[in-house]
Amino acid sequence: MAQIFPKSANRLPIFLALGGILVPVLATGGIWYYGSPKYTDVGYRPRQPVPYSHKLHVGELGLDCRYCHASVEVSPVANVPPTKACMNCHATVKRDSALLEPIRDSATSGRPMHWVRVHQLPDYAYFEHRSHIRAGVACVTCHGRIDQMEVVTLSQPLSMSWCLDCHRNPAPNLRPPAEVTNMQWTPPKNQAQWAAQTIAERRLAPPTDCSGCHR
Amino acid sequence: MSERVYWRSTNPDPEFTDREFLEGASEAPEGISRRTMLQLLGASVSLAGLAGCRKPVEAIVPYVDPPEHVIPGIARRYATTIPMGGQAYGVIVESHEGRPTKIEGNPKHPGTLGASSVWLQAQILDLYDPDRSQSVLQKGKEGQAQKTWADFVAAWGEIAKAASANGGADLALLIEPFASPTLARLLAQFQTAYPQAKVVVWEPAGEGDPLQSTTAVGVWSRPAYHLEKAQVVLSLGADLFYSHGNPVVQARAFADGRRMGTPAGEMNRLYVVESSYSITGAKADHRFAVPGTHLPMVIARLVNELGRLGVSVARVDGPEGGEELHWVAAVARDLAAHRGSSLVVGAGLGSIEATINAALGNIGTTVTYHEAKDAAPSSDQAFQGLVAAMKSGSVKTLIVVGANPGYTASVDLAFIENLKKVPQVLHVGMHVDETALLAGWHVPQAHALESWGDCRAADGTLSVMQPLILPLFGGKTTVEVLNLLATGEDRPGYDVVRETWATVLPTDGFEKAWRTVLHDGRLEGSAAPASTPLWADAMMRQGLPMSLSIQALPEGLALLFRLSPAVHDGRFANLSWLQELPDSISKITWDNPLLLSPKTAQDLGVENEDVVEVEANGKKQRFPVWIVPGTADGTLVATLGYGRTAAGRVGNGVGVNAYALRTSQSPWWIPGVKVTKTGDTYTLASTQDHGTMEGRPLIREATLEEYRKEPHFATEMVEVPEVTPLYTSPNKYDIGHQWGMAIDLTACVGCNACTIACQSENNIPVVGKAQVLKGREMHWIRVDRYFSGVHQADPQPRVMFQPVPCMQCENAPCESVCPVAATVHDHEGLNAMVYNRCIGTRYCSNNCPYKVRRFNYFNFTKDTPEILKMANNPDVTVRSRGVMEKCTYCVQRLNRAKIDAKFAGRDLQDGDVETACQQACPAQAISFGDLRDEGSRVVAAKRSDRNYSLLADLNTRARTTYLAGIRNPNPELA
Repeated sequence: MAQIFPKSANRLPIFLALGGILVPVLATGGIWYYGSPKYTDVGYRPRQPVPYSHKLHVGELGLDCRYCHASVEVSPVANVPPTKACMNCHATVKRDSALLEPIRDSATSGRPMHWVRVHQLPDYAYFEHRSHIRAGVACVTCHGRIDQMEVVTLSQPLSMSWCLDCHRNPAPNLRPPAEVTNMQWTPPKNQAQWAAQTIAERRLAPPTDCSGCHR
Repeated sequence: MSERVYWRSTNPDPEFTDREFLEGASEAPEGISRRTMLQLLGASVSLAGLAGCRKPVEAIVPYVDPPEHVIPGIARRYATTIPMGGQAYGVIVESHEGRPTKIEGNPKHPGTLGASSVWLQAQILDLYDPDRSQSVLQKGKEGQAQKTWADFVAAWGEIAKAASANGGADLALLIEPFASPTLARLLAQFQTAYPQAKVVVWEPAGEGDPLQSTTAVGVWSRPAYHLEKAQVVLSLGADLFYSHGNPVVQARAFADGRRMGTPAGEMNRLYVVESSYSITGAKADHRFAVPGTHLPMVIARLVNELGRLGVSVARVDGPEGGEELHWVAAVARDLAAHRGSSLVVGAGLGSIEATINAALGNIGTTVTYHEAKDAAPSSDQAFQGLVAAMKSGSVKTLIVVGANPGYTASVDLAFIENLKKVPQVLHVGMHVDETALLAGWHVPQAHALESWGDCRAADGTLSVMQPLILPLFGGKTTVEVLNLLATGEDRPGYDVVRETWATVLPTDGFEKAWRTVLHDGRLEGSAAPASTPLWADAMMRQGLPMSLSIQALPEGLALLFRLSPAVHDGRFANLSWLQELPDSISKITWDNPLLLSPKTAQDLGVENEDVVEVEANGKKQRFPVWIVPGTADGTLVATLGYGRTAAGRVGNGVGVNAYALRTSQSPWWIPGVKVTKTGDTYTLASTQDHGTMEGRPLIREATLEEYRKEPHFATEMVEVPEVTPLYTSPNKYDIGHQWGMAIDLTACVGCNACTIACQSENNIPVVGKAQVLKGREMHWIRVDRYFSGVHQADPQPRVMFQPVPCMQCENAPCESVCPVAATVHDHEGLNAMVYNRCIGTRYCSNNCPYKVRRFNYFNFTKDTPEILKMANNPDVTVRSRGVMEKCTYCVQRLNRAKIDAKFAGRDLQDGDVETACQQACPAQAISFGDLRDEGSRVVAAKRSDRNYSLLADLNTRARTTYLAGIRNPNPELA
C-alpha cells in the first residue's frame, strides 16, 4: 500500500507549530503598528486650495501664531483666519500672484475659502485650545515645527492614548505661558522641578475622566 | 403615608405592566430574515474594510469678513421676546456663530422670570422647520406660482389705490391677538387710512370675555395673578399651568406658595373644578370633576354661599345643585376665611372671577388689573361678523396675517366656502397652510426669532423682539407687512420699530437707552400701575352678568374641546418634539384620542383604542378613545390641533381634526352629543407602560398634617437594610466637585418643559409613532404620572408627577455589566456614557432599575434635513445607531462652567451651572449643584426631611433624589 503522506509531511507539525505562533504575533504586531494613528495619520499633508507656507510666514517672516489664529487663547476653537486677515497684507504684498487668486476671489465674491482640515479629532472628542494655552502647553507640542513646514503636516498621532500620556503626566510639556508660541524654546535643566511647582501653584489638573473630553 | 395605592398604567392587562421592556422592544427591524442579515453582515464587513482606510476629508470654512464680537467656538446670548396669545415671553437665545440653538427664559423679564415652557423651547425647531413657506406665491391658472416680495408690494399698491377711493369699505384684515406698541400704532394707521375697513382680531382659542372690549385696540384691563400671595386658590376650569394667562409665571408663583422649608412652614391650598384632567387639577389639594355644563350651577352655589357668609355679592338665581355639590360650602367658607389672600380664577370667566375677587377683597393683593395698552384681544363675535360679511359678498379683499382660519374656524361658519366668495385673498403666514392654499397671494412670514418687533407683558412691561438671524426663507415680519398695509411703504422692520420707540424712550440718549432695552430684554419700570376695574365694583352691587337661566341641565353626553398641550391650536403640528411629547395625563404621543372616564366608557361599552363616531349638530367625526380616570362622567374630551392636511411632513394626517365638530355658538362645549361604536380599533402610542417600576414606593406623599406629625415619613416609609457591598469602589467622592440633584415633587407641576429643554440641549432624536409603540422613545428625562386612590377603581384618583432622569448612582448597576467599559464613573460622581466605546449590548439598560437608558435602535438622525441640523447643540455629540445614551447632568455645561470660572480666576459658585431641565422648570422644582458646597441650593434641598432616594434599598446611592410631595387638604373635606 502506497504511503498517503510523503516524507516531507513529517515537517508539517513543526511548520504548524511555528506558524501558530508566528501568524498571530505578526498579525497582532502588524495591526498594532500599521493600524495605529502613528502610522495611519502622522504625515498626513493634504493639498490646500492655496499653498500657504508656514515656513515662509512663521519661520522666515516671524509672524506670531495668534495674528491669524486669533481666538486660540479665548475660545475652544483656534480659528483659521478669515479671508480678510490674508488681505490685510496681500492687498499690497504680492497682489498679482497667481497662487493667491483663490484668496482675492474669496475677498471680492464673499465666498469663503474651503481649507482642508489637517488636525482632525473625532466629533465625540471636545478639545479646548484656550485651556491648554492657558496651562502652558505650547503650539509646537501638538502641531510640531510649523515654522519649518512648507505644507502643514500632521506631526503627532492625536490618538487618545497620546492625549492621556500628557494628561497623566503634563510636567514635560509645560512651559511659561509667555513662551507657548515660541517654536524654538527648549526646556531648562530644572524643568521637572519648575513644572511640579507650577502644577501645584496653578492647580493644574488635566482631566483623565471620560467626561473631561467626551460629551 | 395614608393607605393609598399608586399606579401608572390604566391598562387592565397586568402582564403588560409587569414587564420592564415592551415585547418586541429589542427585536430586529421587521422584514429582515436571518439569511438577509448574514448577507448584510458579510457585505458590511468587506465594504467597511475599504471605507475605513481613510478618515473623511473635512473642510474648514472661515469667515470672509468676520462679524464684530463673534469668536468662533464661543456662544453668544441675546435677549428677545416671543409673543404668544397676547402674552409676551422674554427669552435669552443662545447663538453659535449666528445660528440660534437654544432658548432660555430671561430672568429679568416678568413674563418668564428665567423659566420657559414646552412651546417656548420648541420655537427653535419651529424656526428651522424645513416645511416653512419659502417664497411669495400668487395663484394663477396653473396653481400657485412663485413671485417676489416686490411683486406683492406692487399688487398691494393697486389694491390700496382702489380701496382708498371708498375708505376701504370692501377691505377686511384678520390678525392674531397681540400686545405690541408698534403693531397697535400700525393698526391704528391702517384704520385711519381705511376707516371703513373691517379689522378683526381673532384666534380660535382666544379667551373670549364680553367685557374685554369689542374694539380692536381699546382700553381694557388684563389680570395678572399673584398666586404666591394667595393662601386659597380656586380654579373654575382654568388650566393655570398650561394654557390660562401666563402659565410660566403662574407655575412659579404657585410653587413659591407651597415651597415649605420645614414642617412648620405654611403652604397654599388649591381647589380645582374641571371636567378634563389637567395638570392644574393634578396639583390640586381638592379636585372636583364636574361636567362643564354644570359649571354655572357651581358658580351660582358658590356666590350664594359666599353671600350667606357675609361676603357682599349680589345673589344669583338659578339651580344650585344637590348633595353632589356639598363641597362648595366648604370651599366658600375657606375663601371667605381668607379674604384678601384668596384667589378665584375661571376659564373664559373674566368678569365673574373679577366680581368674586373684588367681593373677597383680593383685587390689589392676589390679582391686579393692568390697563392693557397696545393690546388687541381675540373676539369670536368680530370673527363671526367677518364671515357673515364674506358670505354676503361685501368683502372684496381679505388680508389674513398669521392666522389659519381655513383650518381653525368653527365648522358651522363654513369658512372655506365663504372664503371662495372673496375675490381677493392675501395670506401672510409661516406655512403654506390650509388658508394659504386658497389665497390669491401668499407671503412667507418671518419667525419671531427672525423679526424686529415689540411686546407688552401682561403687567404692561415693554420689551423689544430682536432677530437672531436673517429670515431663513426670505420671510417678511409682521411689522413690515402691517407697515406696508397701513402706509403703502416698504420699510425695514428695524426702522418702523425704532420709530415707535422714539416716543417711548427719551430723545436725549435714545441710543443708549435703546441698547439697554435690547441688552436687558425689557424696559425697566415700564409696567402699568395696577388699577381696579370700575366694572368689577358695579357688578358686585348689581350681580353677575352671567345668564344662569338653565333650568334643566342638558341630558346625555357632552363634548368638551381643549387646546392641545402639545401642538396648541394646531400651529405647532409640524414640530416633531411636541408631537412625540407624551401628554402629561394620558401619556399619549402622536395622537389626540377622545378622552373619557372609566364609567362613561363602561356605559358606552368601549375600551381603549376602540373607534367611535361622535355626532354633534349633524356633523360626524370618528375618534379613537382613551380612558382617563378622573375625567367627569358623561364628558368626552376632544383635543384641538390635530388632523391637519397642510401642516408639513410631520403634522399632516396626525390624529383627528376636532374642529370638524366645533361650533361658534358654543366653542368649548357641545351638550347632547351622540356616540356610536364603530367596531374598528386604532392603535395609540401611549408611554404610560414604558420603563415601569410599579409596585414599589416610588411616589411618597403626605398631607400637611401628617407631615407635621411625622416629618421623616418619606425615609421611614421603606426600611433600607444596612448592606456592605462585596466590591468597594476606590472612589470616595470626597474631593473636587460632587454633583447632585434634588427634585421637589411638591413643586413639580408636570408641564414637561424639562423634557423638551433636555431634547433641545442634548440633540435628542425623535423616533416616530411606530417606534414609540415599541418603547423606543429617547427622552432623557421622562415625567412619570401616577394615579392614586383608595383602590385602582377609585373614580376620583389623584395624580402625582415624578420627573425621572438618570439617577447618577454612585454604585451604578449599569456600569458593572458593561462588557466594554462604555459607561464608567468619573471623579465628580457622574455616571459617564462613552458613546465611542458602546457596542450596543444593552446590558446596562437591562440592569438599570430606573429604566432611564435609551438606545439608538436606528440611525435616527440620518434623514434629518440639513436645515434642522442647525438646531443642534454643537457642544453635544450626535449619537449614531447602536449606541446607548442617557442623561449626563448636562456635562457640556459643567465643563464649560468650570473652564469659564478658571478663566475668571475664581472658584465655581453655586448657580454658575444650571442643567437644561433645571433652567427650564417654571416651578423651580429641580435644584442642582455641588454636594460639597455647604451653601448650595441642592444641599439645602437634600437636608430637607422630605428627601428620599428612589429604590434606596438597592444601595445604588443615587445622586438624584426626590423631595416627597405634600398636599394641603381642607380638614373639613377630608
